Amino acid sequence: MTTSKLKTTAAGLALSVAMAGGAHADEPFKVYLSLSYSGNAWQSEAANIVKALANTPPYDQMVELEEVISGTDPQAQISAYESMIDAGADAIISFPISSTALNRTIKRGCDEGVLFFMYDATVTESCAYNVSYLSSGFGENTAQALVNALEGEGKIFLSRGVPGNSVDQRHTDGAMHIFDQYPEIEIVSEYYSYWDDRTTQQETAKALTAHPDVDGIWAQAGEYGAIQALLDAGDRLVPMTGENSAGFRLALADPEMQEKGLRGVSAGSPPAQSGYAFKLAMEILTGERELEPMNIEYPLPWVPANAVKVCDGDSYEDGCNVFPPEKVPSSFVSEVLNPELLPEVNVESALDGTPVEGATIQPLPAEVAEAGNEPGINCNRCEAPEDLYKLTKVEPTVQP
Amino acid sequence: MTTSSKAPSSHPDFTKNADSRGSAKISRETISAISVAVLCLVLLFGARFINPALGSWSQVETVLILGFFLVVLSFGQGLVILTGGLDLSLPATITLGGILATSWAGTGDAAQWFILPAVLAVCGAVGLLSAIGVIWLRVPPFIMTMAMSIIVASALLGYTRGTPRGYAPDVAVALMKSDVLGLPTPIVALVIFVLTGWLFQSRSVFGRYIYAVGTNVDAARNAGVPVIATQTIPYVISAICGGFVGIALVGYSSGATLRMGDDYLLPSIAAVVIGGSSILGGRGTFLGTVGGALLLTVLGTIISALGLEFGLRTIVEGSIILIALLLLREELFQKLRSFGK
Amino acid sequence: MSTANTQAPINPLGQWLSRYATGAVLIVIIYAALYTVYAVQQPRALTSYSIAALMNNTAPLALAAVGQAIIVISRGFDLSVAGVISICNVTLAVYPLEGPGGAATSVAICLAIGAVVGLVNGYLVAILKIQSIAATLATMIICQGIALVILKAPGGYVAEWITYEMTDRVWQVIPVSGLVVGAVVLIWLALKRSIWGISLYAIGADETSAALSGINTLRVRFLAHVLAGCAYGLAGFMLSAQTATGNPTSGTPLLMLSFAAVALGGTSLAGGRGGLFATVMGAATLTLLQKVLFSSGISSFYTGVFQGVVLILAVVFCGLLARLGDDR
Repeated sequence: MTTSKLKTTAAGLALSVAMAGGAHADEPFKVYLSLSYSGNAWQSEAANIVKALANTPPYDQMVELEEVISGTDPQAQISAYESMIDAGADAIISFPISSTALNRTIKRGCDEGVLFFMYDATVTESCAYNVSYLSSGFGENTAQALVNALEGEGKIFLSRGVPGNSVDQRHTDGAMHIFDQYPEIEIVSEYYSYWDDRTTQQETAKALTAHPDVDGIWAQAGEYGAIQALLDAGDRLVPMTGENSAGFRLALADPEMQEKGLRGVSAGSPPAQSGYAFKLAMEILTGERELEPMNIEYPLPWVPANAVKVCDGDSYEDGCNVFPPEKVPSSFVSEVLNPELLPEVNVESALDGTPVEGATIQPLPAEVAEAGNEPGINCNRCEAPEDLYKLTKVEPTVQP
Repeated sequence: MTTSSKAPSSHPDFTKNADSRGSAKISRETISAISVAVLCLVLLFGARFINPALGSWSQVETVLILGFFLVVLSFGQGLVILTGGLDLSLPATITLGGILATSWAGTGDAAQWFILPAVLAVCGAVGLLSAIGVIWLRVPPFIMTMAMSIIVASALLGYTRGTPRGYAPDVAVALMKSDVLGLPTPIVALVIFVLTGWLFQSRSVFGRYIYAVGTNVDAARNAGVPVIATQTIPYVISAICGGFVGIALVGYSSGATLRMGDDYLLPSIAAVVIGGSSILGGRGTFLGTVGGALLLTVLGTIISALGLEFGLRTIVEGSIILIALLLLREELFQKLRSFGK
Repeated sequence: MSTANTQAPINPLGQWLSRYATGAVLIVIIYAALYTVYAVQQPRALTSYSIAALMNNTAPLALAAVGQAIIVISRGFDLSVAGVISICNVTLAVYPLEGPGGAATSVAICLAIGAVVGLVNGYLVAILKIQSIAATLATMIICQGIALVILKAPGGYVAEWITYEMTDRVWQVIPVSGLVVGAVVLIWLALKRSIWGISLYAIGADETSAALSGINTLRVRFLAHVLAGCAYGLAGFMLSAQTATGNPTSGTPLLMLSFAAVALGGTSLAGGRGGLFATVMGAATLTLLQKVLFSSGISSFYTGVFQGVVLILAVVFCGLLARLGDDR
């Protein structure tokens, strides 16, 4: 009840702002982009996409975009939000550092008519929109895919994200929900790789010294490092799951790597969420859209080895989904483009934040997918649905 | 400068009056280095009880390769600490080395061999800036190097526009991924580095200057030690070590990220201190530091083999560091010596 | 740095007081100048809401830096600050205690956590004579582990009474967080004049001569670590009040910042000099700097360059003026 009420006031305010903006074309919308730390490929691609979109006509005339990096300290982001609200922000597009610590500041911003759009990570404050794939079941689907590849038995590593992070916890909870059903799956080592290739490589190398006979690896981002650690330790690869790095996708499709035993699926966090969030926010600001649900699900990317297709051009055309090594570094996160939601941008936009020559903003599809409740992740003191960990991308081929 | 010829002979004069027992001092530091090494071996082979695959040659190999990074870093850190300073800019210089190496390798085709010295020169310049701040502007080392770290990290963020590009230069890949005489190159490099570092720190004239300045600046100045150069060079060396590790890391994992150096700061200080150096300067050996660095690396590989949840694992790690510190206490050595007499 | 140490014990109290005063005055001037810039760029900066928000943001760092300053004055480093704050934060989020009574119990719990860690540090540093940076590195790692055991991932809710009352304003004007920090500074001013306080400076300046002049260095160091621990506990409490939730790594960002605040406040990292009011102002300056950089519209990539340069300039400036003062 309160949610919808808040939302309508927000939309109402936004509409009046939009009309004011329309009346004075010389006064563009003030939109802030608030990041955690920039410094890995994922964060900067997500930011670059938004910058490219904000410079694509007609948004280039309508938006004044400013970027703020807050590091990993929620307090710094609280301070940044406060400053943005005081500076008269129309919308704040943000990767939130904490799912709960920012709530009070967000609430104050909402009361002053600021539109909040979170991407990838989420907040539990109900007046902010969350655009995220988190509810799409990364953990459980990849875990089931790995179990299928291992035919229900074997020793595995869990290469996790950042300790004490709610996104990592959600992924791992989902994965454990599956692994726990298969008593023959033995988790012999579990380590934190900080979603980073290099750390993943070192941590996997350490784990391999104790368990050289590992049968599979369930990895979050940084997965390419796990492949390198396996290759360093011996000329043997194992079935594994990982996120969307170009290195990993290319390896999945590489016959030589497959020969050594690599099988798996590339899924995980898409930086394109930021662009989707930004376009949704702009459509609300310009009065083109009234957005009912506050939690919007971004679909889970799912690219098994046989679906990997290398692109010739600068964008994902004809079903291709990874760029060759001449074009992007191995850590490049492939799911940054989306031909359906973000047709305006290409690989250069993702790398540099530059708009594509001649492109104009295309309207988003009218339909949005509403995300399910994830207590402590996208809603506050709420009930999780019964089928929280239901499989959407893969069927179990082996029974527990 | 003119006095440099007589400096080696005047070495005993540099040490503090209270510490005139030269032989006792050497034996204390040797004992400390030996005990760290013993602790390393005990952990390494004791680990077989945790998991039979541990304690094997392949684990030793992994420890040496991963330890290589930390040994190089803590050499530079150790020199700075010897002079009474502290280098908090290592994360930034590591990242600087890594980013510059990949982006320069990505721009040109030829002249790959120029990359290594050029990158190290830039890193050395950063170290020089830190030294200038510490020595001439009298900014405390802690603050100066922390500020340098923030500045360099932010400049790199702007330089790369957030996305590091390019690829690992051949030199770096060759360093980390090839074999020499049947041994992995990084292990050979480690041995060479340790020998050179030890000779430099313990057997060279300059090494003695550093101890002298760290023990007592005024006494060193009176004894004719070129104080300013002696204080400056450790920062430059430390920054160069950081840059070198950055390049090595790029070769190891074929790519640079903007936070690739973050995890090395506290371990680099811990390795030096566990190795028996005084954080206040003037005391410590490089061999002890090497032991400290390898001890931390061994600990890392064993702990990741424990089937504990992360929090408990962290507690175990902290406790073992604490135990190592307790075992390596000076009082304990003094007692041991008095038993021997 | 050694010259300062050899000079300090000559005229103990008077010299220390004068230095403390110059340090504090300088940092207040810097703060005022920065605030003027901020207020010119952002007219809302002078509303009582903005001032309170800034104060709330400052309080955890200020309190953490207060504890750090006590240890630095005694010529040590304390890394355990990150661990204590994290443990307090997760404890408050996992076991919320409602109402004013609950808040009082929570404060007591936080102080106790800090004191226990301080006791361990004190034992390791003062009695077992392990170097403070090494001993507190170990306790920090252990504390971070404990925080992760108590709470695996961010979550939980801090009691509402704490989150509302501790971040509120008294009579709509004075921020409660400011009162807390003010109270701590007042307690310090009393302690500083005590025998313990004078001994603390003496130990930091020259431990050997302090011991020779009959100071019980063990007890003074021990107490310093316990008091610093309590300050970290209070910092953890105020941080929880502001973020209203638990995060097992919440203390980590404050580690390096606490040293920066101490140095900005003119406390020498070589020990024996400095004060807590100036440290609090140093912390406030660091927090304010974020606001000023934001309102100046500096490209976010390069804010770090400015932060670093300002840090160096401030320390150089303070050092220069302090030296001018010494020469006179």
